Amino acid sequence: MKTQFSVAKFDQKLQERWGEVMEEKKQCKGCGGALPFVIGFVAAVIAGWVLFPDLIYSKKTQPIRFSHKVHQEQGMECSSCHTFRDDGSFAGLPNNESCMQCHADVIGTDPAEVAYVEKYAKTGKEVPWLIYQYQPDNVYFSHKAHESFECKSCHPDVGKTDTPPVYYENRLSGYSKQTMKMWQCERCHAENGVSNACHVCHK
Amino acid sequence: MGLDRRGFVKIVMGGVAGTLFTPVIWQSLDDVSIWSQNWGWIPRLNKGEVKAKSALSKLCPAGCAVKVKTVGGLPFAAIGNTANPMSKGGVCPICTGGAQLMYSPARVKSPMKKVGEGKYEAIKWEEAEAMLVEKLTPLKGQDGKIAAISGDETGTANEVLSAMLAGLGSTGFYVMPGEMFTATKGVKLMGGNGQPGFDIEGSDLVLMIGADALDSWGTTVANQKAFAATRPTGGAATAQYIYAGPVLNNTASVCDKWVAVPPTAMATFALALANQLIAAGAVSSAADFGDYKALVAKYTPEAFEAATGLKADVLKDLVAKIKAAKAPLIVAGASFGQGAGALDFVAAASLNVLLGRVGQKGGMTLLGAAPKAIASAADRENAKDAGSFLASVATGKATPGALLIYEANPAFALPQAAEMAKAMGNIGFKVSFSTYMDETAALADLILPAPHPYERFDDAMNPYGVSKPTYLAGKPVVSKPVADCKDPVDVLLAAAAKLGLSLGFDTYADVIKAKATALGGDFDALAAGGIWNGEAKGGALTLGAGALAKAVPVKTDEKAVALAPVTRLAYGTASLATPPANLVTLRDTELVGKDLFVQMNGATAKKLGVAKGNKVKLTSGSGEIKARVHVSEGVAANTVAVLLGFGRSAWDEFTKGKGENVYKILTVSDEAGTGLKVWAGSTVTVAKV
Repeated sequence: MKTQFSVAKFDQKLQERWGEVMEEKKQCKGCGGALPFVIGFVAAVIAGWVLFPDLIYSKKTQPIRFSHKVHQEQGMECSSCHTFRDDGSFAGLPNNESCMQCHADVIGTDPAEVAYVEKYAKTGKEVPWLIYQYQPDNVYFSHKAHESFECKSCHPDVGKTDTPPVYYENRLSGYSKQTMKMWQCERCHAENGVSNACHVCHK
Repeated sequence: MGLDRRGFVKIVMGGVAGTLFTPVIWQSLDDVSIWSQNWGWIPRLNKGEVKAKSALSKLCPAGCAVKVKTVGGLPFAAIGNTANPMSKGGVCPICTGGAQLMYSPARVKSPMKKVGEGKYEAIKWEEAEAMLVEKLTPLKGQDGKIAAISGDETGTANEVLSAMLAGLGSTGFYVMPGEMFTATKGVKLMGGNGQPGFDIEGSDLVLMIGADALDSWGTTVANQKAFAATRPTGGAATAQYIYAGPVLNNTASVCDKWVAVPPTAMATFALALANQLIAAGAVSSAADFGDYKALVAKYTPEAFEAATGLKADVLKDLVAKIKAAKAPLIVAGASFGQGAGALDFVAAASLNVLLGRVGQKGGMTLLGAAPKAIASAADRENAKDAGSFLASVATGKATPGALLIYEANPAFALPQAAEMAKAMGNIGFKVSFSTYMDETAALADLILPAPHPYERFDDAMNPYGVSKPTYLAGKPVVSKPVADCKDPVDVLLAAAAKLGLSLGFDTYADVIKAKATALGGDFDALAAGGIWNGEAKGGALTLGAGALAKAVPVKTDEKAVALAPVTRLAYGTASLATPPANLVTLRDTELVGKDLFVQMNGATAKKLGVAKGNKVKLTSGSGEIKARVHVSEGVAANTVAVLLGFGRSAWDEFTKGKGENVYKILTVSDEAGTGLKVWAGSTVTVAKV
């Protein structure tokens, strides 16, 4: 038997469904409206600025607790160990040959010195120092060209420290937190009227 | 208040939006991008101090005094040493790639012993050295049972090798073929003694008969410097250079004149020129001038034309040039640096005697025997050739039980190479002291890796061609070799000691220092890029008429053509495959893909019925090779020219399997009158395939 369409019934069903929708809407307003969005937003901002910087870096310490302070007290200057070679290139960190000019044998009482002599000087193995401002091979940086700046303009001021600063290694890139980025180079070049052409740094 | 699905989605959306206002995404993107700079497989620069250290680079036969540029102690380039009076800042095309060759994938990385056909196993040095001593011990005291082949013409290592063999009761010390060997024999035939020298620098007319002096003959770099000095920029040339040889090679292409002489007619050319010089009034005070004059009378312009396919006017022009010159010099040699007979040398060198140019500035000189570091070592002028030795091994006349191979590749670079390699199979124990995995090392029972020139002490006494006694020495540039290698001489000295033989030295460094002292030189100054020079002698040479009278003119089959192997130093030497960097300099008329080209002039191509691009087979009595035809008028009449040094079956991916080994079709014959093995006059038949 064919069912007869009833306008009255249809209207009643429509009214009931409308009521349900309005009820759901009321309930949603009850659970916050825009509030969850704001909560998510704020939480992400806090996590991004507070937690992320800690999470992205791992903390490492230098293989030997090198005291710049002790060496400075001996009258040494930065350039005593961090020298320019005859060809103008920068030697960077001193190698065993330099260190062993004084530390072929233990001359003090500091356990760090003992560790150096035993582990490296006597074995001929170079100390795997962590380089705070390592630059990749595609960057040509001349220390000679930047000689007029103070070391601490770019490097951590370690001259008076007894313990080297913590080395923050980026878990993704592998670079140190202190590694200078290209924008920093460019800004300094721009401020000092130096060319920012690609070939200046990328040979 | 509960958190429903919509609420959760809103929090997530808020979180994502919030993240955009933090460094999380932006820094991570940046970090990932710079992380890609340091992937493990990306080569890293070796950072450190850049230095230029003096070295003796014996990658080329003459040895180049170079400055090796290092960074952080590791070599990365070689440049000329301007302080060295011989090379004067020049460097040959082999030695210029010395740094690359130090890191070559073809290097033997550690001692290896054969464990099966073509199979090797890396072993420790202790085991390798013990194996060497163990194999030599039962052969001690039996003449001919221990043999050695050296591919180093100039090193004092030869003194150690020959003295060691003598001490073990063997006279089996042999050298790879080269100009020095035949020229020294030739000087003896002219009544002299010693190694001939040529003062190219002091001459105002240099006629090179065969000798490819500006590319692959003698002290190439010094020769090039001498040539360049006579060509001042913007000024007139102060000396003439003429090349007589079968191919318009690198030497001929810069000379004032090229005379296209087939390789089978080199002696005829020299003697016909002597004929014309005598006709023009040349006389000599040599005792055999009369005989010589009578002998060269047979080499008439007509005979010259018949043998060379050239017009006799060429001779007249040369005679006029020689007569006009104040200090003419004839440089004698084979066009590819080996295989010529002593009589070929005598024929060309006799012109220097005829012109009174022996012992004169800009002339030919004689270098006496140098003082030895080891008294019991064999005299250099009495050297025996490795080709004859291996031929005796092939026939069973020689039955060595052990063969020491020092810096030589006889399985590749001896004529009839396939037979030579087969003959080596008759020897029970073969030791290859080699820097690279070459064809001979691949046949050895024990491979002992030798250091690269930058990793070792070495020296060079009288590189062939120098006009006065000359000594160079070098010491390691690097503190540690890149492979697990030992100096072969150190290994031999240690083995000799274990066999109860003391040669008075523990290391090669000590031997070289003793050599320098014996000469009156200072090793430290030499190792710093210096040079020791003595005085050259003149000597009363004859014209060699007696020996030349025994020479039999080369008879060629009507269907055969002369084979002119072509050497280019850039493409390698008898003991070194083409350096990878130099492969790119090969022309597409020399090698394309794996196909080698055979070059011939238009008339020869017509005679042979071949055309440009045809694939042909070159057949000799000793084998055959395939090549494509390139027609070039830079080849003498009835001659085909093919590059030497290709067709490698060992080495590395860059050189292996490219082209064919021309040594396979060089045919050895006995030189009439001297009995020397010769192959410079090899002939081949050419047929389309």
